[in-house]
Amino acid sequence: MKKIVEQNQAGMDESLIDYDVLVIGGGIAGDEAALKLADVGYKILIVEKDLSIGGRMILLSKVFPTLDCSACITTPKVSETARHRNISIFTKTEVKSITRRQDNFFDITILKRTRYVLETLCTGCKECEDVCPILIPDEYQYNQVARKAVFIPFSIAQPRIANIDIDNCILCGLCEKKCPSDAIDFTLVDTYEHLVVKSVVLATGFRLFNPTVLSRYGYGRYKNVMTAMEMERQLAPTRPYNSVLRPKDGKMPDNIAYLLCVGSRDQTVGNPICSQICCMYSTKQAQLLLGALPMADVTVYYLHVRAFGKGFCEFYNQALSMGVNYIKAKVASVREKENGNLILRYEDFSTGQVEEQEHDLVVLATGILANAEIESVFKGEKLELDPYEFVRQKDMLTNPAITSISGVFAAGTVTGPMDIPDTILSAGAAAAEATAYLKKLS
Amino acid sequence: MKKRIGVYVCHCGGNISDVVNVSEVVTAVKDMEGVAIAKNTLFACSDAAQNEIVNDITSLHLDALVIASCSPKLHLHTFRAVAERAGLNSYNYVQVNIREQCSWAHSYEKVSATGKAIQLVKSGIERVIFSRAMEPFSIPAEQSVMVLGAGIGGMRSAISLANVGLQVYLLEREFFIGGRTAQWGDLSAAYENGPEVVSRLFKQIREHANIHLFIGAELISQSGNIGSFEVKVKIKPRRISGDCDESGFNQAISICPVEVPDDFNFGLTSRKAIYQHYPSEYPAIPAIDDANCNFCGACESLCKSIDLNQKEEILNLKVGNIIVNTGFDPYEPTRGEFGYNEIERVLTLPQFKRLVDISGAGKLNFKGKQIHTITYIFCVGSRQGEEGENQYCSRYCCTTALNTAIIVKRKFADITNIHCTRGIRTYGKQELIYEESSRQGDIFLEFSFENMPVVEERNGKVFVRIKDILTANREMEAETDLVVLITGMVPRRNNNIAQMLKIPTGRDHFFNEIHAKLRPVETVIDGVLIAGTCQGPKNIMETLNSSMAAAAKSAASLSSGTIHLEPIVADVNTDQCTGCGICLTVCPFDAIVTAGPEDKPAVSIVISRCKGCGMCLPVCPEDAIELYGFTNEEMEGMIDGLTSY
Amino acid sequence: MESSSAKLKVLVFSTDKISDPAIDLAGLLKKHYPAGVYTISVPCSSAIKPRWIIHALQRGFDGVFIAADGTDCPYGELCVPNTANLVAATQIKMEKLGIAPQRLKMAAICSICAEPFVRYMNSFLHDLDTI
Repeated sequence: MKKIVEQNQAGMDESLIDYDVLVIGGGIAGDEAALKLADVGYKILIVEKDLSIGGRMILLSKVFPTLDCSACITTPKVSETARHRNISIFTKTEVKSITRRQDNFFDITILKRTRYVLETLCTGCKECEDVCPILIPDEYQYNQVARKAVFIPFSIAQPRIANIDIDNCILCGLCEKKCPSDAIDFTLVDTYEHLVVKSVVLATGFRLFNPTVLSRYGYGRYKNVMTAMEMERQLAPTRPYNSVLRPKDGKMPDNIAYLLCVGSRDQTVGNPICSQICCMYSTKQAQLLLGALPMADVTVYYLHVRAFGKGFCEFYNQALSMGVNYIKAKVASVREKENGNLILRYEDFSTGQVEEQEHDLVVLATGILANAEIESVFKGEKLELDPYEFVRQKDMLTNPAITSISGVFAAGTVTGPMDIPDTILSAGAAAAEATAYLKKLS
Repeated sequence: MKKRIGVYVCHCGGNISDVVNVSEVVTAVKDMEGVAIAKNTLFACSDAAQNEIVNDITSLHLDALVIASCSPKLHLHTFRAVAERAGLNSYNYVQVNIREQCSWAHSYEKVSATGKAIQLVKSGIERVIFSRAMEPFSIPAEQSVMVLGAGIGGMRSAISLANVGLQVYLLEREFFIGGRTAQWGDLSAAYENGPEVVSRLFKQIREHANIHLFIGAELISQSGNIGSFEVKVKIKPRRISGDCDESGFNQAISICPVEVPDDFNFGLTSRKAIYQHYPSEYPAIPAIDDANCNFCGACESLCKSIDLNQKEEILNLKVGNIIVNTGFDPYEPTRGEFGYNEIERVLTLPQFKRLVDISGAGKLNFKGKQIHTITYIFCVGSRQGEEGENQYCSRYCCTTALNTAIIVKRKFADITNIHCTRGIRTYGKQELIYEESSRQGDIFLEFSFENMPVVEERNGKVFVRIKDILTANREMEAETDLVVLITGMVPRRNNNIAQMLKIPTGRDHFFNEIHAKLRPVETVIDGVLIAGTCQGPKNIMETLNSSMAAAAKSAASLSSGTIHLEPIVADVNTDQCTGCGICLTVCPFDAIVTAGPEDKPAVSIVISRCKGCGMCLPVCPEDAIELYGFTNEEMEGMIDGLTSY
Repeated sequence: MESSSAKLKVLVFSTDKISDPAIDLAGLLKKHYPAGVYTISVPCSSAIKPRWIIHALQRGFDGVFIAADGTDCPYGELCVPNTANLVAATQIKMEKLGIAPQRLKMAAICSICAEPFVRYMNSFLHDLDTI
């Protein structure tokens, strides 16, 4: 689409428009929506606050119910997004404010945080990493291994360029000297920029429940109690170790327990809804674990197994036939033995009795929560949220993509828990609605 | 002949390299004739690897590319684009499948799998040696789409398509629009009912100049390609042309002597051969159903717009894409399944929903008796186990059943709901409906697949017996006034669309998309998209999302005005051709014509009609026909590669 | 448990839209079949030239299996008779060349027929072993 200088109905000069659509969030929902819009010819800006696009999905191991490797599905989409001539991407950038100007446009303020690396010069060679003396927990591996203060987030990151974690950097300057392309520059600063766009797609995704508040499960206190996302990284192709290991002693576990509904369907933590994905990702991890550790036993403690989507029930049956043990139970507590093993205390529905069982690793299937920060970015107009702080769908029964603000559309888990296929369809719906909106404007 | 071939063997994380020794494969092929470079790569599809390949192509002047990785169905286009970015023609790229058809299929035989991978890669190299550069054909894309089915999904697709400026032909096989949702009564949270949702969408349909709605319309034939499908549509006679004053229609309906079970109410009530389902229905005039009308003519005398001689019409349309949104059927239990059709007080969920909808508030009566206790049996026709027909979960039924139980309790006095479930699956925010039904005092029991509940009638009373998992498998029996079988979704019966459009179905017999995550609304037939419940069970919101996603995909593919088609077509060697014409008899597309001078007759291919199926190849007695991309050189080269040592 | 059929080599002609997806599905579902089974995909099963089949058998394949589209063929009903004809014509040629016609087999494989495919492979290899 050519930028044509013309006065439209609202009297706005088209030449002042920077992008047709601002997509907030570069995860799989944002990428999908951006691609569909860009294919129609609109100019899109994706703003991602993290260092890479690809969101949560690019960090997963395999995906249910097909066991496709997640990277194989995400990376081509991510690279198509990065290459599309109608799409621009700012990573490490946050949207600070969105204000309606006249009727049909939005003024946007973004904060581009610097990487202290000149993005055009960095080749991703990682030589800086080798010389950096600082070691800190690697958040992209869910803190299971260390990274340097100057680092490339992960091998399939997009863009694959270095970033300096200035909070942990001691400014020794070794990386600056080492960099073969002189890409490191400590004088760079964060910058604010102002943009004008015609519409906005919200694709800010979700937060994971932090299980430390549920002290009865011992996460944070007992080393061999881990979250499913931590396990996901151990099973991923870009995994930190080449095997599945217990955090406490590096031993290969052989009797693993999964606890479902951690932080979901739980009024005591203020989240009564079901997270929709935990049953299936646990079922998937159980199958992968049986593949990775052929001698291991995997037990899933559940209330209900929500295998509802296309192929899910068959996938659950497959796990049962592989020997994954499902116990319908309410888990009351977890306690640690001296050797690091864990005792689960639970009420077993099949006997009606309180039982105890020892496992050497406990995985918490933590639920997903709304990422409500986006609400405060809207100035002068209220972005309505539902009681659980997900973006409210104004008209779920005839148009699931519209929000309480005209010209602002929702894609993926910003409106509630969703699995990947549903997220992609929802992003398609947001793209369809944004296209319809833009056509009407012109 | 290609002389500078680049070969890349992908680890796919470990999906390939855990079984196949990737470096052994690279070593085995790197010295083959024509191979300029052979490498392994962690993820060939990653951006970094793509850039590396592009750099190699340009810096090493590669003239052909082989990537051994996953199935071409996943990434053929990804890697063709890589070739093109480096200035290499995309048809000089060959993808070798060493994942689905090697490492995954032979994961217990690492040595044999590595051996097989080596032969497969050699075969790909032999093929690419003979590959030739081709350019896709460009054809103009019709700026129109046909949508099949005017339920909420089809209407939603139509509105989204029309809003982006495309012409839409919306076809509904029935005489009334709205599909299943029109039958659905109060929806979850009960702030709106099915007919209201239908009329809100219909209002947009009616007001949109780009949408052309055909009712009683069926697709009868289809030909052509993405960008320009030619379709033939039959419009059944409604036998009512226009308006008639209301009393006229009412009189016509009451005079009609034919009475049949009303399928809109799932047989709970009856209707006439001239009928309308509910007053605000669209279109707001009745229809005459030919299957049951005896053409007595009684109604005709009462209303001048009734015309029993109305004829069917045939319409010819040209469209760029087709979106199939034909919905589902409720599962119909077999006779005697939980007493269905044997015990009068056993209904299916859709029947019960209609009963709730058409009964006035206050007391709920059925067959002359007031209903107090209702027992719901879940997963009827779904999750039928490893041996069963329907192994899948129907997704919407738990929520709908509980929501109905809530509505029943709100609308009628003295109701007790007993739910016999196989584990409630109110996923996501629908969990709140489960919570509400628990809070209102509904009783929950749970049975396992091995111990199904039993419904029995004794002395005119109905009993449900269940072994309850939630109380340590205690066996209990409840007397109940009504049993509701929570039936799932099954693919539509009488659906010839799949055969006509060649849409494959999945293991669950619903229409199958290419890839649930990468291409969730596309089928293997380019330009034919699927959405809504014809693809698998979905609730309303999920149906709308997929319907809009299909519209977005359609808009993206047609918006440039041009469609690029594969240049894989047949080619005749006129020197060898004798003009015998045998090939003309096997071509399904009339793409071969006789040509050439009289003394040297020969055939030639009409490229615009050729779809590249290759049916003409084996029948030629002179072996004078080749298919681009599948020439004798390429095919026999591949075979040589598979058998060389 | 290595039987002599494990060393046999079979060439499968699959079709891009129907039977090749089924063979992919077999891999996806980890339904194992012998590694001596190789696949070449073509647009339609009625496009396979007898000379390719004979070339494969002469080059060392023990058998050729056509995973045909059957009635699912996206190119229409003509696929079924046309494929049957080419199989019959090839078998006549094979006999003339002294190749047992049982070395060529055809069956319709639908797009989700992963399990039938694996069964066909096992039984075909077994049959080839007894020739």
